Amino acid sequence: MNEEFLAAKELRKAFNGNVAVDVVSFSIMRKEIFGLLGPNGAGKTTTIRMMATVLPPDGGDVMVDGHSVLRHAGEVRKLIGVCPQELALYPELTALENLVFFGQMAGLGGKQAKEAAGENLLLVGLQDRAKDAVAKFSGGMKRRVNLAISLMSRPALLFLDEPTVGIDPQSRNHIFETVQRLRGEGMTVLYTTHYMEEADRLCDRLAIMDHGQLIAVGTPRELKAQIGQPEKVTLEEVFLSLTGRRLRD
Amino acid sequence: MLRPVHIALFEVRRYIVDRGDLAFSLALPMALFALMYGVFGGDETFNGTANVVDLDGGPAAQEFVSRLESVDGLQVRLRSLDEADRALARTSILTAIVIPPGFSDALAAGEPVKLTVKQRGTGGDEGQIVSSIALSVAQRIAAEVQARRWARTTMEGSAIPQPEIDQAAQAAVTQADADPAVDVAVVVEGESGRADGGQFVDRLLPGILVMFLMFAVTLSSQVIVDERRLGTLERLLTTRLTLNQLFAGKFLAGVARAMLQAVVLLALAYAVLRVGGPSSFFQALAFALLVAAAVGAIGLVIGAAARTREQATWAAVFFTMFMTIFGGTFFDPSETKALDVLSHVTLNRYAIDALEGITSGGKSFADYGVQAGIMAGVAVAALTVARWAFRRTVK
Repeated sequence: MNEEFLAAKELRKAFNGNVAVDVVSFSIMRKEIFGLLGPNGAGKTTTIRMMATVLPPDGGDVMVDGHSVLRHAGEVRKLIGVCPQELALYPELTALENLVFFGQMAGLGGKQAKEAAGENLLLVGLQDRAKDAVAKFSGGMKRRVNLAISLMSRPALLFLDEPTVGIDPQSRNHIFETVQRLRGEGMTVLYTTHYMEEADRLCDRLAIMDHGQLIAVGTPRELKAQIGQPEKVTLEEVFLSLTGRRLRD
Repeated sequence: MLRPVHIALFEVRRYIVDRGDLAFSLALPMALFALMYGVFGGDETFNGTANVVDLDGGPAAQEFVSRLESVDGLQVRLRSLDEADRALARTSILTAIVIPPGFSDALAAGEPVKLTVKQRGTGGDEGQIVSSIALSVAQRIAAEVQARRWARTTMEGSAIPQPEIDQAAQAAVTQADADPAVDVAVVVEGESGRADGGQFVDRLLPGILVMFLMFAVTLSSQVIVDERRLGTLERLLTTRLTLNQLFAGKFLAGVARAMLQAVVLLALAYAVLRVGGPSSFFQALAFALLVAAAVGAIGLVIGAAARTREQATWAAVFFTMFMTIFGGTFFDPSETKALDVLSHVTLNRYAIDALEGITSGGKSFADYGVQAGIMAGVAVAALTVARWAFRRTVK
């Protein structure tokens, strides 16, 4: 657990002169669930996109298991799985077809991809709906398919960008349990959310971002200790204390 | 290496399950073909009117008119020359067959004769068929006159019984049919229409096929914006898929979709309209593959440059309409010089010329090397531009 698996070093990104990520550095340990919190527009998704090789940083670098996202993006992609904030599915096709296709794109053969799809649909509790078109699924089921796709290559590092947005408590709980089970199997997870109780319950360590900068890093207990007795303070109070109560959008 | 193929197969699967796309690209052309079949191919009995101007009035001219009247499905309407010219000017008729003065005398003397066909444009399908019938009837009459002359000059005054003379004359008619000594020609006056004299339907069918292949530009142009809209583009870029593989997959998918259309439409044309034969079917498919590659690559250029689905759609629709209209799908672009020149900047002109020749003109793929080269050249050039633009847009 103490072995560094991902190291973000002085990451910077601006869009048309607007700074989205402003010299951000942190590291994630192997088998850790690391939470990245922040208000809307704080720079969380931009940071994930840079770590996931989608967006080239203007400055800095990210090392994933010793591979640079700038110089060895191909190697980094072999290690990561990304569950994006927005659903990224082909709604007209079945859950199985979606998973098999992304499995093939992740380098699995046809047979392997079908096997992995079956395992992952079982993991997210959708094995009985494998041959139904995704368009017919509820929001929670689509979220679970979205998660299952990101697991197709059995990644060593999983990016989960707000995976529980807009779903019922049952589906959310199922996703929690899935993430914990994956960590138990040795997966490292970067998790972003707006639900503070989720982060408190799930994450080993947390980083809070605001205005493109990292303003706090630590375990939930360490962060709570910054404003009071950890047993009496909620993570939401810490968050509001650090980022303010002003509306962001 | 297999990822582009997986992408192409996946896209074809998405295309097949999307009823809107299927209706747009397969059911509509099939409906159009069915309509055309009803208009051009459903009734095998010819019905038409021969507008005849008899400036001769002699026995051969009367016999000519009488024979035309006996042709099944053909009505003969005798007109004066002025009346025919006025009707042609009003476009109320498209052809008039003029029997020139001295027609009967020239035939009787064994001299060459000419029928004049006055026409508007190409004369239409009916006019071309009537002209063809008229030529055939005139040749037959000329053969009979030739045989009777021969019989009269060689047997008259001899002791040969009349039935034997008649029998010899009949044999001479058959001989004259095969090897006419009297030259009968049809002279076309007015706009000459297409040089090869093909029927409108022969050009319309390849035109419709190319038009629907062109619609593949719209589908191809949307693949990137659609992936972006669905969020799957970014997800794909976090897999082991390279940009080149993604690009190649999208190109193959566009070609595969267009070829699916081509196979269905050509098979339909072959089976229902009896256009071409098995050999021409496969040669037309081979040429359609080049057209599909060209339009698929152009679609990717538009798709790589467009930021929204609407931009991609409108750019593709404008491109397709320009190519379809000025490429000669619905009219003969060689009718005026300006259109003729303009049509040569469209892909459709070359594609329709080649497919028409292959399916109806008795020609082969090899006869259309220039057109094939143009399709391949456009495909390569568009792919190069699209690949460059693709990298800029995707990142």
